[in-house]
Amino acid sequence: MRTRDLSYWLFLAPVLFALAMVIIIPLLIGVYYSFTDWNGIKIGSFVGLENYIDAFKDEEFLASLWFTTKFSVVSVLLTNAIGLGLALIVTTKIKSSKFLRTIFFMPNLIGGLILGFIWQFIFIKVFAGIGDVLGIESLKGWLSTTETGFWGLVILMSWQMSGYIMIIYIAYLEGLPSELLEASEIDGAGPFQRFRYIIFPLVAPAFTVSMFLTLSNSFKLYDQNLSLTSGGPYNSTQMVAMEIFKTAFGERDMAYAQAKAVVFFIIVAVISLTQVYMNKKKEVEV
Amino acid sequence: MGSKKIFLSFFSILFLVSVVLAGCSGSDSSSGNEGSGSEGDQVTLDIFQFKVEFKDQFEAVAEQYQEANPGVKINIQTVGGGEDYGAALRSKFASGDEPAIFNIGGPTDVIDWEDSLADLTDSAAAGAALEGTLDGVTKDDQVLGLPFNQEGYGLIYNTEIFEKAGINPADIKDMASLEAAVKTLDEKKSDLGLEAVFALPAKETWVTGLHLSNAFISPEFDGNVTSAFESKTVDFKYGDAMKNFIDLQNKHSVQPVVSLDYSQQVEELFSTGKVAMIQQGNWVYGSIAGIDEELANNKVGILPIPVPGYKEDAIPVGVPMYWAVNKNKDEKVIEEATKFLDWLYTSDEGKEVVLNDFKFVPAYEGYDASKITDPLSKQVYEYAEAGKTIGWVFMGYPANWGQNELGANIQKYLAEEATWEEIVEDSKAAWAESKE
Repeated sequence: MRTRDLSYWLFLAPVLFALAMVIIIPLLIGVYYSFTDWNGIKIGSFVGLENYIDAFKDEEFLASLWFTTKFSVVSVLLTNAIGLGLALIVTTKIKSSKFLRTIFFMPNLIGGLILGFIWQFIFIKVFAGIGDVLGIESLKGWLSTTETGFWGLVILMSWQMSGYIMIIYIAYLEGLPSELLEASEIDGAGPFQRFRYIIFPLVAPAFTVSMFLTLSNSFKLYDQNLSLTSGGPYNSTQMVAMEIFKTAFGERDMAYAQAKAVVFFIIVAVISLTQVYMNKKKEVEV
Repeated sequence: MGSKKIFLSFFSILFLVSVVLAGCSGSDSSSGNEGSGSEGDQVTLDIFQFKVEFKDQFEAVAEQYQEANPGVKINIQTVGGGEDYGAALRSKFASGDEPAIFNIGGPTDVIDWEDSLADLTDSAAAGAALEGTLDGVTKDDQVLGLPFNQEGYGLIYNTEIFEKAGINPADIKDMASLEAAVKTLDEKKSDLGLEAVFALPAKETWVTGLHLSNAFISPEFDGNVTSAFESKTVDFKYGDAMKNFIDLQNKHSVQPVVSLDYSQQVEELFSTGKVAMIQQGNWVYGSIAGIDEELANNKVGILPIPVPGYKEDAIPVGVPMYWAVNKNKDEKVIEEATKFLDWLYTSDEGKEVVLNDFKFVPAYEGYDASKITDPLSKQVYEYAEAGKTIGWVFMGYPANWGQNELGANIQKYLAEEATWEEIVEDSKAAWAESKE
């Protein structure tokens, strides 16, 4: 940081160039397009805020926003809880902990689309099969109602993300100062007290990182959504990214979709930044 | 020390930048050479098309054509079906790398791409196109596209199961006889080893929202896609018939229908003989043949989709996609592009290829239909020849109305979340709104 001389900028230049080319400039062009009636081929005229006003009146868009929000809240909580749980398990001195780490991390290596199709098979075929054998009606016809579609997505997402989040928690858990833990033991704290008053506050920075990751990932979810339910039944499990894609390429309303995307971008940015700010405040320095 | 550091960093940046630039310029120079066709009088035709299924055969034909016409070089690029193609085509145009020949789907595309569509009215292929097949791409008396082929759909049935159940498919000519046949099949379900009579894939909104609905909405517009496209409203005049047809399939289908998809319908259920009938078109031949060649070649047929009050003995037949020639290219390129398409559909060699290699149901005159090999395409051609067809109008539906509005609404109806009247009203409103 201290030597911002020529070489500093020279080294940074390629990255800045790339960042500008693929993120910043397209974003600005995108914002510009959202104020026009661009149809993907040509711009007819400048329409001002019309696209934005329409977006806020668009029931389907609002429904998908609400669905995404519900999904994100549930999956952020679940993924972090499971991730932390897994991390606590594999950092204890059990024999197979290395092996378990690998196993828990593996779902994260499979692409979202393929995962969606695999889980589709599980929800539709395996669940129905188990339902048939045990005579449990509620296991049949998964993904054919809004509720089961919702929980299907949540299960898929936490199954995939938990292993990744686990890695982050492991890094922090292993960095805990052992003298603190030993001291607490000597003072007679039980496992729960130790977790609540020592481990939990000390891994707070890990919460900042992993909540940011899960939150932004859940909000942006597209491929899993597409392959698992493709928004069905009757578009009720359609998330924002998918709704925007449909507006753009299904209804061919590019500028309108662009406006929705800008709104979406702002929402995700505001929520993520607020979350990081709030979490940062709670962190304790050792 | 300091100067060495700067020198080093300068060098590495030079390297990085050159890598980035080399990447860009590499593609630039190659496409530049192809595009300009600078070598002598050679004309380069860039073709951007969507039909993945016949990619290899099409490339072979291009090869054949290049040999016969040394002055023409053909580059084919294929991007797979539906929405993806539209998006890819847009980005291709946006990047300035415009193809000479591309695909358009109907009236909506004609409006979108109007500035890039050459007038093909005088081409030989347009002259030979069957009546009605040019409706969707004719604007102000100009023909702006040439049909790929014809496709048709109806209720595809398993002849063996029908035989075992003692049903003569030739007797099924209206809704009443279809219902009777379904009843018979349903009663003998366990003897025939059926899971259900139908497999209704309501998850695939194109099956319900586009294809199924087309049979019952087409009569409102006399089967003319342009009238549908220009209409500000839709009445659902045959809405009750549509409801009955959906109910019939739903009542006798493998459940739950809202999560049943194409591959379950065609591959898992129909191809293995677990259902007797599916609503699909001649394009499923390949999927069925992949699982049971014997079934695909000898034991399938198409039954009509009965629309009481209109045509009860007809199947919907139409043109799925058109070839368009890019108006903004050089005069010479446009001329050669038209010549190539004419050759493909009207010359003797071309016709051979269209029938035998592409396995198309031709949309042009002068073909020997007896050469069509797969039974489903053959039946589609027979229906077309006998005039027992219902025109395709779903390309004239407002963008995404069929799938996203009507198809989703039909799912709602099937999931018992809404009544038929509610979804009809809702779909009508959505049509009117998008045509404002």
